[in-house]
Amino acid sequence: MPISTQKTLRSLGASALLGLGLAVSLPSQALPIDECIAPADPGGGWDFTCRSVGKLMRELDLVDGNVQVTNMPGGVGAVAFSNVAGKRADDSNLMVATSTVGVTQIAQGRYPGGADTMRWLAMLGTDVGVILVDDESPYETLDQLLEAIVEDPASVAMAGSSGAGGWDHIRALRLAKAAGLPGDQIGALRWVQFDGGGPAVTQMMGGHVDAVSTDLGEIAGFIESGDVRALAVLSEEPLPEPFETLPTAVSQGYDVTGYNWRGFYTGGEVSDEDYAAMVETLETLYESDEWKDVAAQNGLVPLWRGGEEFNDFVRESIDDVEAISREIGVIQ
Amino acid sequence: MSDEVSATSTAHGDRIAGVVLAVLAAGAWWHAQTFVTGFMQPVGPGVFPRLVSVPLGLLAVYLIVRPGLDHRWPGAAALCRQLGVLLLLGGYAAFLESWGFLPSTLVATVVLMRLFGASWRQALPYGVLLGLALYALFEFALGIPLPNIPGLSV
Amino acid sequence: MEILAFLAHGFAVALQPEHLLLALIGCTIGTLIGALPGLGPVNGVALLIPLAFNFGLAPTAALILLVSVYYGCMYGGRISSIVLNIPGDEPAMMTTLDGYPMARAGRGGEALGLSAVASFVGATVATIGLTLFAPLLVKVAIRFGPAEYFALFVLAFATIGGVTSGSFTKSFIAACLGLLLGTVGIDPVSSVARYTFGWYELYDGIDYIVALVGLFAVSECLLFLERDRDKATAAMRIGSAIPGMRRSFACAPTIGRGSVIGFISGVLPGAGASLGSFLSYVLEKRWWGAKGKFGEGDPRGVAAPEAGNNAAAGGALIPMLSLGIPGSGTTAILLALLLSMNITPGPLLFEQQPDMVWGLVAALFIGNVMLLVLNIPLVGFFAKVLQAPSWFLMPMVTLVAFVGIYSLNNSPFDLYMMLAFGVLGYVLRKLDIPTVPVVLGLLLGGQMEFNLRRAMSISGGDWSILWSSGISIGIYLFAIALLLAGLVYALLIRKRLE
Repeated sequence: MPISTQKTLRSLGASALLGLGLAVSLPSQALPIDECIAPADPGGGWDFTCRSVGKLMRELDLVDGNVQVTNMPGGVGAVAFSNVAGKRADDSNLMVATSTVGVTQIAQGRYPGGADTMRWLAMLGTDVGVILVDDESPYETLDQLLEAIVEDPASVAMAGSSGAGGWDHIRALRLAKAAGLPGDQIGALRWVQFDGGGPAVTQMMGGHVDAVSTDLGEIAGFIESGDVRALAVLSEEPLPEPFETLPTAVSQGYDVTGYNWRGFYTGGEVSDEDYAAMVETLETLYESDEWKDVAAQNGLVPLWRGGEEFNDFVRESIDDVEAISREIGVIQ
Repeated sequence: MSDEVSATSTAHGDRIAGVVLAVLAAGAWWHAQTFVTGFMQPVGPGVFPRLVSVPLGLLAVYLIVRPGLDHRWPGAAALCRQLGVLLLLGGYAAFLESWGFLPSTLVATVVLMRLFGASWRQALPYGVLLGLALYALFEFALGIPLPNIPGLSV
Repeated sequence: MEILAFLAHGFAVALQPEHLLLALIGCTIGTLIGALPGLGPVNGVALLIPLAFNFGLAPTAALILLVSVYYGCMYGGRISSIVLNIPGDEPAMMTTLDGYPMARAGRGGEALGLSAVASFVGATVATIGLTLFAPLLVKVAIRFGPAEYFALFVLAFATIGGVTSGSFTKSFIAACLGLLLGTVGIDPVSSVARYTFGWYELYDGIDYIVALVGLFAVSECLLFLERDRDKATAAMRIGSAIPGMRRSFACAPTIGRGSVIGFISGVLPGAGASLGSFLSYVLEKRWWGAKGKFGEGDPRGVAAPEAGNNAAAGGALIPMLSLGIPGSGTTAILLALLLSMNITPGPLLFEQQPDMVWGLVAALFIGNVMLLVLNIPLVGFFAKVLQAPSWFLMPMVTLVAFVGIYSLNNSPFDLYMMLAFGVLGYVLRKLDIPTVPVVLGLLLGGQMEFNLRRAMSISGGDWSILWSSGISIGIYLFAIALLLAGLVYALLIRKRLE
């Protein structure tokens, strides 16, 4: 049996080679981006980042053919991170969507690797944090909500799309601290994680939680439809239309901002040349009017940081978030 | 056919399965204690696995005490074929990427047909046909890139 | 009724000849892809999205094409469930239980015809429900919080003993095994790696498609080697689909019940089509008790899950379109599809883009009619395929499954995992332990656990939140009643045997 198998193998190999008339391939060369991994299920911010950017790249002819979007949910991006680090570190056709949420996970040591594992390409815009209650909630203003929290932290259940200690939670806790919640009381405030901003908001509409801290972009429709009330947006300046009437936390006397930038990384073993080409592609996209339109429609403020500048920015952000996490007690 | 299958009336199968599952449940319970409960979580990552391993362990013990009827296990010849198929498929998975899709698949189709009872005269032409059809289906019709033969673009 | 006007407009658009042609092409391609084990709607839709863009199809036309492919895949999945005992995708799993015994008895065509009619009715019921009650149902669905979802999953697992004719103990063992396997991977709440033993391939958990194909396809292949290989394979008779279509009149009450149960579980995001088809099957089995021949080729065992599955897929459109929440794997694909066309589902979608919403509903409906019609020639085609000698058919099915699984992640690890599940499935089947609960545990375990943990986060660690609402108490009482009914029924059968 083994002998005949080997023979078969040899003859088969030969016939396959002859029969198909194979062409010797050229050495692999830098190809344009053809895949974007969204480390989440369809519908959330990372999925949106991949789909909108991928579609624009195609429409602007920055790539040949299509940019395929792969949804790879799990561990708030840890699964995609470990997949790229392990299997596709040198794949210069691939980019992965990330954001402040992902960097927060790195800062807290929840990814299987640090910032050096990857090459950070660019950010294209930022989303902004928002504090929401149901339209029939007793809390009419941010002051009322925070007062209730400071008085009895256990009386309020808050929800968001990140886990306890994640970016949505940190933003809420910073507000509570700014309102005077003592550090040792933080553990009493209840925090519930849902699969995204949309599910968190619908659970709040169903009366299961009292308030939601998440990004504006994903849930903008609920604000426009009047189903929920936005108590504060966490930007320095009021937002552009159609959200110009939403009050900022700063204007209500709480010096807290919480942005969530949207950007991409690629594998750590991508060559300098390919890396530069990918950054350039993204910069061309950023400078198009089409991107400005897409961003505005989805509640994002266009903002560019690319290449080395972005790389440094990510490292700084990680240090910042690490410091905040230590202060709040997420990490020891 | 019948000489390949040996019949037993004792309930060893269920008992062995019960022991394996009980050990699995105990191991899962024990390992779940090492999962660290994170910041501000009333229910940590270890609770649910332990909630599941308790009924699994109890049911496994019940299976040891009250096993059902035993079943016919395959005889030597059938067992060899089954192991052959598993080894072939395992080898196919191992060599798929280093040999490339076409050579490894052609070997797999021909040998698999042999294991399913085809003669060489049937297995060779139809195996090659099936291998090429699979290649055409995935590479061209479905547009899924398959591993190339090293150094070649096929 | 403004809605009816929009729906009529949707149908007028969908019924244009060009769109009907696209629906025909989509359904045919989808059925062929779906019938191949390991390949499902994800492959089908992923294949056609670039194609739709390249042909420069208008959004409505592209939507009709993709929806048809999606429905075709779902239908193809049940073809391989019935004729090969290998489900093409996870909602088709329940159809193997009675569909395959029917096929072995030479009634495969009947099962296929019946499943087509049941699916069609299920989808129709869902479309009507969607048209009439969407805004109201959204209000009901949001009453379901984490504690209520947890109760719903408890109900599913409490009834699992009734899935197969085997023993209660073994069904529950299989479910626990599935739930335990479902905890493998990084815990999304705490980011702790559970039971991964340092293998990063396990970080994203055990893919249920890999488990499904292993447990069904590979184990079927191993069983075949000891059971049928040396028999002069009497080619399985498939027969015609017509008697099945006629038979569906007799099954009308079953189909009706299955549609309603499926629709309700579809409307609840997080329950999904698999739970819909599962509950429809189990409750129908309980309904008939000793009078049914479930598990041995009872036509009602095909009609109930098929109606439930399709009604759930239709019902799941409600939270997906009006809240932007993909309730199940299947609606997640549709959501991705809409997003790639710059349509963002949410609370304003029904008001802002009614033509799109009702166009989609019409497209789904047309896809179902098309499949009902296509069914008759397709049954003939698959009957021909199955007349191939088994030494060709079995390797073909095995290798298609193998390459299909490989193409998911380009990962040989998935293949080893599939072989391991194949051996597990073989041993379980030898021991009379059903494999369906293993997949259900794997599929539903994650949501069950996270809803438990969410409920506990809301209550701050107080377990009484689990039974503090009327909805959850009602679900628990129903589960207890079903469990008792099952036990009494089992005792009665034992008495009768003695």
